[in-house]
Amino acid sequence: MNTPIRTGLAALLLGAASFVSPAAAQDSDTLVIARSMDVNSLDPSRAFCDTCQFYLTAVYETLVTLDADNQTLVPNLASEWEVNDDFTEFTFMLKDATFADGSPVEASDVVWTFERLKNLKGSPSFLMDGLTSAEAVDAKTVKFTVDAPNSEFLNKVSAPYAGIINAEVAQANGAIGDETAAEADKAEPWFLANSAGSGPFQLSAYSPENELRLSRNDQYWGEAPAFAEVVVTQITDAVSQLQALETGQVDIAMQIDPDTAQSSRSPDVTTEVVPSYNFVYVGFIPGAKGMAEVLTPEVRQALALAIDYDGMLDFTVGGNGKKIAAPIPNGFPGTAGLTPRSQDVEKAKQMLADAGQENLSLVAGYPNDNIYGVDFNIMMQKVQQDWAAIGVNLELKPLTWAVWRDELAAGEWPVTAVYYAPDYYGSGQYVAYFGMIDGYPWTNRASVGQPDLVVNPAEADLYAQALAASGDEADALYTQLGEEMMKDTIIVPLVSPDLVLAYRSDIEGVRYSACCNLPLAEISRK
Amino acid sequence: MLAYILRRLAAIPFLLLGVASISFLLSQTTKGDPLAALVPERMMSNPEIVEAVRAQWGLDQPLPVRYVIYLGNLVQGDLGTSFTTRRPVATDIAERLPATLELVICAMILGTIMGLTLGLLSARFRGSVFDGTARIFALIGSSLPIFWSGLILLYLLSVRVSIVPGTGRLPPRVTPPPDVTGFYTVDALLAGDLALFGQALAHLALPAFVLGWAVTGIITRLTRSSLIEGLSQDWARTARAKGAPERVVLINHALRNALIPVLTVLGFTFAYLITGAVLTEAIFAWPGIGSYAVRAAASLDYPAIGGVTIVGSMAFLVANLLTDIAYAWANPRIRVHS
Repeated sequence: MNTPIRTGLAALLLGAASFVSPAAAQDSDTLVIARSMDVNSLDPSRAFCDTCQFYLTAVYETLVTLDADNQTLVPNLASEWEVNDDFTEFTFMLKDATFADGSPVEASDVVWTFERLKNLKGSPSFLMDGLTSAEAVDAKTVKFTVDAPNSEFLNKVSAPYAGIINAEVAQANGAIGDETAAEADKAEPWFLANSAGSGPFQLSAYSPENELRLSRNDQYWGEAPAFAEVVVTQITDAVSQLQALETGQVDIAMQIDPDTAQSSRSPDVTTEVVPSYNFVYVGFIPGAKGMAEVLTPEVRQALALAIDYDGMLDFTVGGNGKKIAAPIPNGFPGTAGLTPRSQDVEKAKQMLADAGQENLSLVAGYPNDNIYGVDFNIMMQKVQQDWAAIGVNLELKPLTWAVWRDELAAGEWPVTAVYYAPDYYGSGQYVAYFGMIDGYPWTNRASVGQPDLVVNPAEADLYAQALAASGDEADALYTQLGEEMMKDTIIVPLVSPDLVLAYRSDIEGVRYSACCNLPLAEISRK
Repeated sequence: MLAYILRRLAAIPFLLLGVASISFLLSQTTKGDPLAALVPERMMSNPEIVEAVRAQWGLDQPLPVRYVIYLGNLVQGDLGTSFTTRRPVATDIAERLPATLELVICAMILGTIMGLTLGLLSARFRGSVFDGTARIFALIGSSLPIFWSGLILLYLLSVRVSIVPGTGRLPPRVTPPPDVTGFYTVDALLAGDLALFGQALAHLALPAFVLGWAVTGIITRLTRSSLIEGLSQDWARTARAKGAPERVVLINHALRNALIPVLTVLGFTFAYLITGAVLTEAIFAWPGIGSYAVRAAASLDYPAIGGVTIVGSMAFLVANLLTDIAYAWANPRIRVHS
């Protein structure tokens, strides 16, 4: 065999061998994460997804952030802050932080970022609802004013979408912060290939549904992260993610469900099951075609009573989850005083009989998907089975997201199923989404143009009071709001699935954050 | 022949325009919310955001206006911007198509060589143990769902015995070679990096085998049955009577005739796999055009649907042309009159 061929073959074998050797991962300065990426944008003011949460947290920094206890707000870019007595003015004092290009983070960057977030009318713009003014008091002090008391404003600015952008760099690449932003801002493509934050990492490359590469920000003003590079690689299903973890191809697998995790036999893999703040729910739509007289509050309550919540936990997530009372996750303000629903078939039958609906037939349209380890088909089959026990026939209609949304808006069916994950720590976001308050998202969905069917006047008042309160007083008001939402019986939470943290045993610092999903800068190799 | 080929090539742009128009009208009139990929579910009840996005993406325009704009852009080579990736569709396709082509070409080469060899030997030793074994191998290849065979082989060969690497085109810790052709194996060689070539080839081996196994199944059965039929024809008997050895009858006479249906299937299969290797791509985390197509269709990403349709149509048109040319090569009785 001549020399070049022999050299080539040797190199080929060495290449293959170096890959399959588990030692390849152990010394690596690169953290590899397996995930089915759901990125809709990498522009902080447009992004809105689970992957975006941890990407933005790593690259852009917020004024305040959530501590590891998932409840306490702690300084981030802001060293301290002041709030006036009626929760309408918020003043932040900035640390001496720098962006990745070395320029200082200044009040003008914060003002510009928040104005752009509001004016862009992007998915996370709701975080700036009610903002009336943003003012740079001096280079390191910024003051915000909102139009009504909002004790959750601090929590809102801890959301990763409120990460501060280097205004000068972004503006040079087509970003606009003023009122014309929705039409005139052209920076989104730039943000897909570049970043302009002050975080411990910066974007080095992005290939949609394939790979997201971050590199360490060498100019980082805080403690340098342990890894020089983070690669998020697209692996869609849980079994493949676990296989990649077992072979050492990846260090962390983010979407392994408890069942799959139990099949792991590798001593090199650590799995932890932790409670999450995500939940899946059944939603009723009394405004659906022909349902105004049928899906009354009494009928909805009967249907909610018929569900076997304990069985649902076993059926959907093999017992790896929690029951949840109102559409506010366990552990969030006000939920301590709420008791989850329990099944009462006889009472449900009686309530249906009293309502004259003994032979009820309903249709459930829902996304044909698996979210947070919950297969929606399996979940709805359980609902179908439970309702059959009280004589209700439920026809299941799994749909693609696009068709589901179309039919939901048109009120094609009276029952659906969806999911929710928090954007920040705070119960107000749930009232703002699920509350039966005129003009609010789920009021519009459930009523399909007939708000009188569902609006609960008590909730608007309670919500305003909660936003004007703090501490125990706010908690008590959110408890009342939770009770009111349970009485509405428009949203019936079924399961809050536990989360599996699965990682190689030489990795440490992996944790679940309510605001930020997976804080990458805290992760290191032992 | 040359005039015939040129005429066929000249027709391709017009055919593609027709396909693009049909695809545009079908996708735009399909039931579903086109904002599914643009506005997250939780924001779909916010009229301000919905209207802003509708205007930004031109979805507030009437269908005929959108159609004229689409065609105008198309003839200038602009396939639009994907609702999902927010990048030009042409960029997405240029990034993903080489990955699929590299996989499909390898799978086709592997599948064809294995299929023809097994089919030929099965026909030659009809009724033997070898014939039985080859037919079972072929049957399993064409019957087993790829999501099953792929996962099992990946588990056995990668997780359990570690003789092949895991998913993806390269280990995630490795930087891809400089982009020349988009084929990692070729680009690694062009860069003179044999270790990287080895890694790219190792990653390609299992998905190409899994996909190629399915092709092998079809080709083996088709080759075997065509050869057996051919070997009982008068011309085969005549060749034998004239003293030709069985090997010559098999390869020089029967195989050439048997190639016609095989070529048809190969052409069709190649074109189909360009956008149809979805399961293989999903299991092996292969960033190809198939998974892009499925995602585009599910989320009603109109520009991406249009782009993928054009690529798929192009694959079929070119594969058909190449198949027709190969017919003439395989069987001189097929004449093309220009």
